Amino acid sequence: MLQKLILAGGFVLCFGALKAQDTIQDQINNLKDDVTTLKRDPNTNFMIRGFSQFGLDAGSDNVNFNMTSFNPVLLWRQGDRFLFESELEMEYMSNQFGLNLGYANASFVVSKGVVVKVGKILIPFGTFGEKFHPSWVNKFSSAPLGVGHDGMLPMADIGVEVRGGLQVGKSKLSYSLFCVNGPRIKDGTEEPTEAGMLSFENANDNNNNKAVGARIGFLPFSNSSLEIGVSGYYAKPGSKTSPFAGDTLNEDLNYKDVTALLFAGDVAYIKVINLIKGTIDIKGQHNISNVSKATYLNPEDTTRYTFTNKCSSYYVQLAYRPALVANNVLRNFELVGRYSVYNTPKGSLWYSNQSQIEVGLNYWFVWRTVLKISYQISDGAMGGSGMGNMPGMSGMKTSMFLIHVATGL
Amino acid sequence: MKKSKYIIGFLFSLLMTIIIAQGCSSAKQIVEAKSGAQLWAENCIRCHNGPSPTEFNDEQWKTIGLHMQDRANLTKMETDKIVEFLKSAN
Repeated sequence: MLQKLILAGGFVLCFGALKAQDTIQDQINNLKDDVTTLKRDPNTNFMIRGFSQFGLDAGSDNVNFNMTSFNPVLLWRQGDRFLFESELEMEYMSNQFGLNLGYANASFVVSKGVVVKVGKILIPFGTFGEKFHPSWVNKFSSAPLGVGHDGMLPMADIGVEVRGGLQVGKSKLSYSLFCVNGPRIKDGTEEPTEAGMLSFENANDNNNNKAVGARIGFLPFSNSSLEIGVSGYYAKPGSKTSPFAGDTLNEDLNYKDVTALLFAGDVAYIKVINLIKGTIDIKGQHNISNVSKATYLNPEDTTRYTFTNKCSSYYVQLAYRPALVANNVLRNFELVGRYSVYNTPKGSLWYSNQSQIEVGLNYWFVWRTVLKISYQISDGAMGGSGMGNMPGMSGMKTSMFLIHVATGL
Repeated sequence: MKKSKYIIGFLFSLLMTIIIAQGCSSAKQIVEAKSGAQLWAENCIRCHNGPSPTEFNDEQWKTIGLHMQDRANLTKMETDKIVEFLKSAN
């Protein structure tokens, strides 16, 4: 009897083990099938790309190693028409780690020449902020004056955009129309020395109107070597209520009717020219910002003041790479030069008049990795009390030597 | 009032340009005859160096093509031809 029980038990154990083995084998086979299916699915693709920059800045007072950017870019394609993309901006500067969402949006190709985007978009105002800001695309390790997160231009915002490219005979036209939350006017309650400045970094709108804008680019030649673009942007940046509500002396100060109108013109010419055995690359952008007049409060002496709130900036950039010469080393060098100017309103507490000239020599290790060596001279005059500590201000000239390596990952 | 005139003028110009662009098709053949390789060489360089076709696989090129159609405002024809050229190297 005992033998029968042992035999039966053994049989059950063997059968159970075999059954379990079969189940595990089935599961492995199913997983293999799933992985194969995933590999072969042409409708979806996920990529992690991005760019980074690391380098050294040498000024007269200090020499700093710094990691100026590490920006992973996520791309997720679903089918032939839908794309989700986002960029994370990581920085480590002044002993602080910063993480910012550069953009995150979904785009859908509606038809030939029409793409609709929703989410946090790069604002197509001029070309630098949208197209040339990645460190491996920018010929220099810094942005031109007036451009960037502390500049006078909108860089990214939440909203909707319609854009595309159209063939016009031999020429080509690119267009972008957008509607976004828009900027906020700094009223001076948080940062008194920046009263009247526009702040474009707003996750939440401060009023119930939207900013609208557009850019048109025209490429007259069939080889797309020249692009001329114009951009416009309109917003009402004030809140409905006075920032001084409750303060009987100042609650009449209100910015609800303040308007902001911005214009930009941009040009880019890139051409491989046999005569000079290389590629010539010329870029430029001119920006104007007009904010309507308003009265602000100086917190130091509680007096009121007003000023013509007009900013302007521009840059011109020239690059030459002898890409057609026979020497394999020489063809990877690139000579670059850039001049930029940034003027802020006279009469404001943030008045400044800055200019910067930068010359450099780049070496391309591969198509997406570059060593940038440049020398930068900044000059400026300031009238506002808020600009005292900026390099190149107070009528002083400063210079800096920069070496950076940038790569598109 | 003056500013709103500027805005209306700008939007009207934009609309007219788009209408003209949609209607004009006379020299399209010249552009349509271009190869993917030529379009790749002419368009990528407008912002950055041209990537090697062997850099990514077919599915990745499709994703990058869609990304660049959006970012660089490439036309549909340019995008399709460039992606086909890049995929042909794999």
